[in-house]
Amino acid sequence: MARTLRSCERTGLQAGHPLGPPTPQGKVGRTLPSVISSRLLTRRELLAGAAGTTLLTGCGEERPIVPSTVSIVRAPVYDQRLYETVRRMLEEHRLEVRGRNVVLKPNLVEFEPESSINTHPLLVHAALEAFRAMGAATVRIAEGPGHRRNTLDLADAAGYFKTVPSFEDTFVDLNLDDVTRVRPARQFSSLGALYLPNTALGADLLVSMPKMKTHHWVAATLSMKNLFGVVPGGIYGWPKNVLHWAGIHECVADLHAAFPRQFAIVDGIVGMEGNGPIEGKPKPAGVLVAGRDRAAVDATCCRIMRIEPLKIEYLRMASSGGSHITERNIRQIGESLPVVATPFELIPEFRWVRMENS
Amino acid sequence: MAIGILAGQQNRDGGWPYVHGSSWTEPTAYTILALLAAGETEPAERGLRWILATERPDGGWPPQAGVDQSTWVTALVALLPAERLGARAHARAIAWLIETTGRESTLTYRFREWLLGNPRLPEQEFPGWPWIPDAAAWVGPTALAILALDKEYRRRPLPAIRERIESGRRFLLARMCREGGWNHGSVRALGYEARPYPETTGMALAALRGVRSPSTQRALAVAQRFLGECRSADALNWLRLGLLAHGQLPAGYCHPLEIAERTLPDRSLGLLVAEAEKGRHFLLA
Repeated sequence: MARTLRSCERTGLQAGHPLGPPTPQGKVGRTLPSVISSRLLTRRELLAGAAGTTLLTGCGEERPIVPSTVSIVRAPVYDQRLYETVRRMLEEHRLEVRGRNVVLKPNLVEFEPESSINTHPLLVHAALEAFRAMGAATVRIAEGPGHRRNTLDLADAAGYFKTVPSFEDTFVDLNLDDVTRVRPARQFSSLGALYLPNTALGADLLVSMPKMKTHHWVAATLSMKNLFGVVPGGIYGWPKNVLHWAGIHECVADLHAAFPRQFAIVDGIVGMEGNGPIEGKPKPAGVLVAGRDRAAVDATCCRIMRIEPLKIEYLRMASSGGSHITERNIRQIGESLPVVATPFELIPEFRWVRMENS
Repeated sequence: MAIGILAGQQNRDGGWPYVHGSSWTEPTAYTILALLAAGETEPAERGLRWILATERPDGGWPPQAGVDQSTWVTALVALLPAERLGARAHARAIAWLIETTGRESTLTYRFREWLLGNPRLPEQEFPGWPWIPDAAAWVGPTALAILALDKEYRRRPLPAIRERIESGRRFLLARMCREGGWNHGSVRALGYEARPYPETTGMALAALRGVRSPSTQRALAVAQRFLGECRSADALNWLRLGLLAHGQLPAGYCHPLEIAERTLPDRSLGLLVAEAEKGRHFLLA
């Protein structure tokens, strides 16, 4: 099934047609492993896993992984209590942001304020206030939507102008920001160097603030996939189709490597299930999930959604074959997973990623 | 007044930003057209010099100076009057457009698909234009390229230009949403019919000027509906232009005053559309 999904996303055509997997450089073998079966490991994944294992067990000596801290906090509704909830949650992570430049990167997709498609503005404002209170020199909100060019109109429709005072002065449209050509520290895709917005590159802390959603191409879209929004549409267009040709999972992993100074706060108060990230249904999960290690945060979100994170290709790529995102290598604080877990409905093509005991 | 604001936002290098900051090709091209329409030639000439200085060796234009890739903005440069831009640079922009297609229309891709035994889809029959080379074609850049080529065809009626205009229009008609109108180019996605956007519906209708069919009638009905609902200056500009191209802009239509012009292209395009409403066309042929 991965074969059909990838081709459709690249060309914007109907899913389900038998269009084969175009290879990024016309090398037929390049994408074959992921075509053969979604369940089998690809050659790249085997290599990544082997590399990870080598790193962990160099010279036959097992080195323990330092567990990443991920917090799960209950937040049943979008109301004024969020400000205190977010402040406490950030305090727990002991982020040192005094005098630093913080950029909050929500997920803005469509002009549908009543749906659960966009990151809720109240949560973003709560984070903005919290980082300011922690002494950040600047806190900006920045986003570069993938489909709609009129970003500020979209933010207006999503309620940001009403919720965030002087929003226009705080906001940077990443699609139209000045850019610098960079080569991510680790590369999984065929993209090579990529133009990225200076606002995101210059941030001392880039805070990815996605909505907790299922996704019809990659199963789940969380803090790592949210970084597609930093790729400038002004250079690459709407949609940012070069990322689809170069491989969605691979590009998510590339962008993860390009922005090492990150934090993640996932809006799971009301997420989206089913045919996300646009046509799904609202799914109240009543949680915020946060941490410095985005792969660990996303893996935790997957477990809340009852999705097996090790079956998500980009998560395996970005975490040395998955070793960093096993439950024993994540230090969970706040609510326990079993208490907050709530199965998100998946489209039939992705039911195989469901956790087996769900 | 509005023209004065545009001139005042010109960067020292001669180009214009989207809001503030560095010069970009898109706001610069639209602003030059708006200034020329208003007879403000001095800032327009400085803008044209910036445009000429950013031309790439392949005859296309980058979105921003320093970006080493020619992209869809070449269509906007090709919309500038050849006598102002210079015949050579203008002809190279047109040639770049004629040569550029979405990746799915390239021989390499088609040959690969043939080898894999994948049937050719109706949506892939006609080449459109990508935002950036090596990616698929989409509605926005295809509509803009058609506008530029249509304008050029009135000046130089070459068969190669006509052929790309016609195939581009077929591309647009094949990508229309079921309810009418266009989104960015995905007619359908997993399990649902994709819905049209106001801005791309307006752009595609402008590019389909002179095309009369039941499909365009459906799209015009959608555009009329959007015109009453839409709160985006960019989208309203394109809707007005699209409806105007088909003589369907409601008589006495008044642009809502409370709509915020967020970017420079919002403002310059608004001025160009207002000129078009008076019968002075700078974007439509």
